[in-house]
Amino acid sequence: MQEEEEFIQQLLNPTTQNEAFQKLLLTYQKPLYNHIRNIILNHDDTDDVLQNTFIKVYQNLSKFKGESKLFSWMYRIATNEALTFLNQKAKRGGISSETLQNKTIDNLTSDSHFDGDELQIKLQKAIITLPEKQQLVFKMKYFEELKYEQISEILGTSVGALKASYHHAVKKIEAFVTSN
Amino acid sequence: MKEFKLENEPKIESGFKTPEHYFENFSKNFMQQLPEEEPKVISLFQKNKKIVMMVAAVLTISILIPVVYNNSINANNNEIDATALENYLSYQSNINQYELINGLEADEIDNIKTTVVLENATIEDILATNGNLELLMLE
Repeated sequence: MQEEEEFIQQLLNPTTQNEAFQKLLLTYQKPLYNHIRNIILNHDDTDDVLQNTFIKVYQNLSKFKGESKLFSWMYRIATNEALTFLNQKAKRGGISSETLQNKTIDNLTSDSHFDGDELQIKLQKAIITLPEKQQLVFKMKYFEELKYEQISEILGTSVGALKASYHHAVKKIEAFVTSN
Repeated sequence: MKEFKLENEPKIESGFKTPEHYFENFSKNFMQQLPEEEPKVISLFQKNKKIVMMVAAVLTISILIPVVYNNSINANNNEIDATALENYLSYQSNINQYELINGLEADEIDNIKTTVVLENATIEDILATNGNLELLMLE
């Protein structure tokens, strides 16, 4: 905790800010990329959203009050950016967010940045049938392997509710894959 | 149909990949976009903002004082300039000489009375050049 406080001070100090930010970038770029990619599914869009996420993090460092952990604050920004991007893209295309994701999954087989098999595509199709919150919980728990406590800090939901949400998500996914 | 159980299956990866050296390039490119660490530049105005504002306030007050003072003097001064009054009575007013005389006190009329000494030749000249003699005599 004290280490994080010191690191935050380095991020806020103009003379050490850039060096500290580079450290932050190297630590979090990969997990945040995976988090955003799991929501958006497409690499190019994920690249844009990841950049926007780090820009927002950099611009808002002075507003970070340390009430939550740095990692959960950044994950929240990334989640909001990804969901906003997805909704805006769907709106521009005049379709729902679910339809947009369905289209993206259909294009995964020809995506050079995807090497999944039929079961992986079926799993993605099963996930998008879930409500938004359950999708997020499932992806963060199953693919990103975050702990319930970490997901709780990011989404602001109790661990108990998250466990229930994940349990429902798994049941629906299993039913979808079995029947498809 | 075999029932699919997630926990019975080996971990299913997302299958998402990134271009080669994506993360190395991402952090490098991002850091290049950040502004260099430069000493904070404070403009001269910002630095001396308080002093500049105080000087501006003093100057404004010093300009306003004579204007306000003069206006208050003029506003209290009810005396009318004698020439302006004379011009008004001569050219703008409908008051004739008799009404004017009625408005004056006896001593004021005595003050106005002046003795004009005219030479005979001058009188003759006036009478000779002014055709409207009857009107003059009536006046």
